[in-house]
Amino acid sequence: MKTSPVKLWRRQKDTISVLGKTGKILLWTIIRVPAKSFVDQAPYPVVIVKMDGGQKMVGQLVDFTKENLVVGQKVQAVLRRLKTEGNEDAIYYHVKFKPL
Amino acid sequence: MSGIVGYGTYIPKYRLKLSEIAGMWGKDAAEIEGGLRISEKAVAGFDEDAVTMAIEASRKALASSGLRSSALQSIYFGSESHPYAVNPSSTIVGEYLGVGNNYFAADLEFACKAGTAGMQMTVGLLDSKKIEYGLAIGSDTAQGKPHDALEYTAASTAVAYILGNKKSEIIANILEMSSFTSDTPDFWRREGAKFPSHFGRFTGEPAYFTHVLSEGEKLLKQSKLKPKDFAYCVFHMPNGKFPRAAAKKLGFTPEQLAPSLTVDKIGNPYSASSLLGLAAVLDIAKPKQKIFFVSYGSGAGSDGFIFETTLNLPKYQKKTIPVAKQIEDKIYISYQQYLRQGHLL
Amino acid sequence: MKINILGTATTKFGELWDTSPRELAREAMANALKASGLRASQIDALFVGNMLSGILGNQTNLASLIAEELGSTSQVPAFRIEGACASGGLALHNAINSLNAGKYKTVLVIGVEKMTDHSQEEITSALSAAGSDEERMSGLTFPGIYALMAKAYMQEYNVSEEALAAVSVKNHYHGSFNPKAQFQSLITIGDVMRSAKVADPLKLLDCSPVSDGASAVVITSDVSIKHKNPVSIIASEVATDTLGLYNRKSFTSLSAVVTACQKAYAATGLKPTDIDVAEIHDCFSISEAIAVEDLGFAKRGEGARDIENGKMTLFKGKIITNPSGGLKACGHPVGATGIKQIVEITEHLRGTAGKRQVKGAKIGLTHNVGGSGAVAAIHILKGSTI
Repeated sequence: MKTSPVKLWRRQKDTISVLGKTGKILLWTIIRVPAKSFVDQAPYPVVIVKMDGGQKMVGQLVDFTKENLVVGQKVQAVLRRLKTEGNEDAIYYHVKFKPL
Repeated sequence: MSGIVGYGTYIPKYRLKLSEIAGMWGKDAAEIEGGLRISEKAVAGFDEDAVTMAIEASRKALASSGLRSSALQSIYFGSESHPYAVNPSSTIVGEYLGVGNNYFAADLEFACKAGTAGMQMTVGLLDSKKIEYGLAIGSDTAQGKPHDALEYTAASTAVAYILGNKKSEIIANILEMSSFTSDTPDFWRREGAKFPSHFGRFTGEPAYFTHVLSEGEKLLKQSKLKPKDFAYCVFHMPNGKFPRAAAKKLGFTPEQLAPSLTVDKIGNPYSASSLLGLAAVLDIAKPKQKIFFVSYGSGAGSDGFIFETTLNLPKYQKKTIPVAKQIEDKIYISYQQYLRQGHLL
Repeated sequence: MKINILGTATTKFGELWDTSPRELAREAMANALKASGLRASQIDALFVGNMLSGILGNQTNLASLIAEELGSTSQVPAFRIEGACASGGLALHNAINSLNAGKYKTVLVIGVEKMTDHSQEEITSALSAAGSDEERMSGLTFPGIYALMAKAYMQEYNVSEEALAAVSVKNHYHGSFNPKAQFQSLITIGDVMRSAKVADPLKLLDCSPVSDGASAVVITSDVSIKHKNPVSIIASEVATDTLGLYNRKSFTSLSAVVTACQKAYAATGLKPTDIDVAEIHDCFSISEAIAVEDLGFAKRGEGARDIENGKMTLFKGKIITNPSGGLKACGHPVGATGIKQIVEITEHLRGTAGKRQVKGAKIGLTHNVGGSGAVAAIHILKGSTI
């Protein structure tokens, strides 16, 4: 997945509006066979979150312990680097979720 | 007069015990921990960098101070691990904070004092009434080369200070500000090099101590104050030994220094180090107390400040999560995990 | 208008290292023409179902390439239709539309996919193109998306991983009777449970494989063309849903499938109990459990258990699902699957399915899904014995 800096720039408003907001885990899985871009991060959990504002979001779960992998766990949207990019590519920042 | 209006700190969740590092290289953990007076250090997550941490710290500063991000009129971001060599970290922070487009911004590098240099520049804009609020950040995901001495101390943290010039909002006034600067090649990193280099014991007397003590003495002289006039002192903490020695040399007691010594549990997060120590002091200080502060950046220079807390501080303290508490919110990792998270594999 | 299937053909599915995409297409189309008793020049138009040719092979404009392999000099109109893993079913739907519109009379529909020229990582990345950007950037893979569905299903209906594993076991059993299937070996629940985790709780043997293959059918609206054993397509319906899984109302049902099959049942006046045999899109074991509920073959929450109890297994079940071995055992060359399903059902309705024949099959259904349910194509076929 090649990330375009233009896409990053276009998405900033959406990202900003979500940062810091909280929600609860609806479903979680652990990705063990990742796509190419995420090979160096695997295995990692991905969660579907019901935000306190009502909308549903999907994202990687970070800074977690095993105990956090439960339906209902409270999480917060944080900004992290999406993946490891080549050393000439622009850095893509993206929303991930952290247990509270 | 200008001063601190708000502050926020972000310490990543992961900790690596020094004993893990010592075990990797077959060294005596007790000897190393005793020599450095550090037991564990903060390690950034795989997907964190100086910018993501700075955004967290800045968001906290804004939340605690109650300011709208659009009130910020300058952002100075000091680091020695900016994600880009060319492309400003300060504006990425500005964008994700929602500051808008009307602000001064620049990225700074001056080893471990890049954050305090940013504070000095912000004071200039505030005192000349060009701005009302400015954000100064010190943030680093510091790396030490495996098997090098710095591996035991290099750590990650971000600290953000909002400075302003409205008396009713200032929680700590800046009474004095000066710097002691020279060209001293004690520690450096070339463009493209992954790890910094240093010249061992040369980083001690001629580097850290010359600048910290010279600036410290300058501050005392120009303020006409004595060490006993201060409730607290804060110094840059490359390890647990140096700030203790500097404090003693300048005439401060261990009790005045103790609350600032975040290095013991966090390590040295470079541009954030002295700023974190100051935040730890502000978390517990009472009104009308003076704080003596000297940072250090290799290359070399020391930025000195004398702060005096105000009656606005106690109300602010109720809105923060203390540094001491954040230090305890941790997950221990193994040396292998540390290599992975630091992109060293 | 009556849409008749004249002839069908499928290549073997599997890791066909020696066979190029052109050779796959050539084989399938030549055999389909032969089975139809037609020459290439009698084909009025060519519809191609394929997902990955552009992403993996850097080859778009695929329909013209495939038309070259048809061997006709008539500059035949050719179209590639893409809807991820539903490309085959969607190509057929469009072909049928063209016949109903009267524009063409006899057309060939081919589904073709070549996957094994590429690495596993490239394939995983390429398949994730069927989902949404948010899903890709969250680090989700296709197995990951279905794993979330499996979690939701297991939580909601108190179903175990072993029950889901029974889907793969059944499909391998069926595949053992299919000489064209990629896997003709039997597996056990234990084998599935011991296989490596891909995305919790889905394991390797819960997932359909990477495969090459091509399948083709010739369909006509021309009643003057006689076929001794005609099968007709009596319903062809398509519906879409959101691209991504996470903002759907339900994680345990594909509403695109429910909508499409309700339209198909309504158009034909048929009920789920009228279906004798069905080819289901089991990209993952959970997919079939949910599908049989969406199609009305099982009550909500009981799909996995019914399959576990043999209610859809060859020779003992009431409605047989995936007699070909499904995607799991027969293989899943993505764009070809939707057409392979048609080829399979046609065999059963003609009584030519050999060892895996569903006795007395009169009505069959194919269920072809794209992505995690972003699109579904449902076809109902009727044998000529009615």
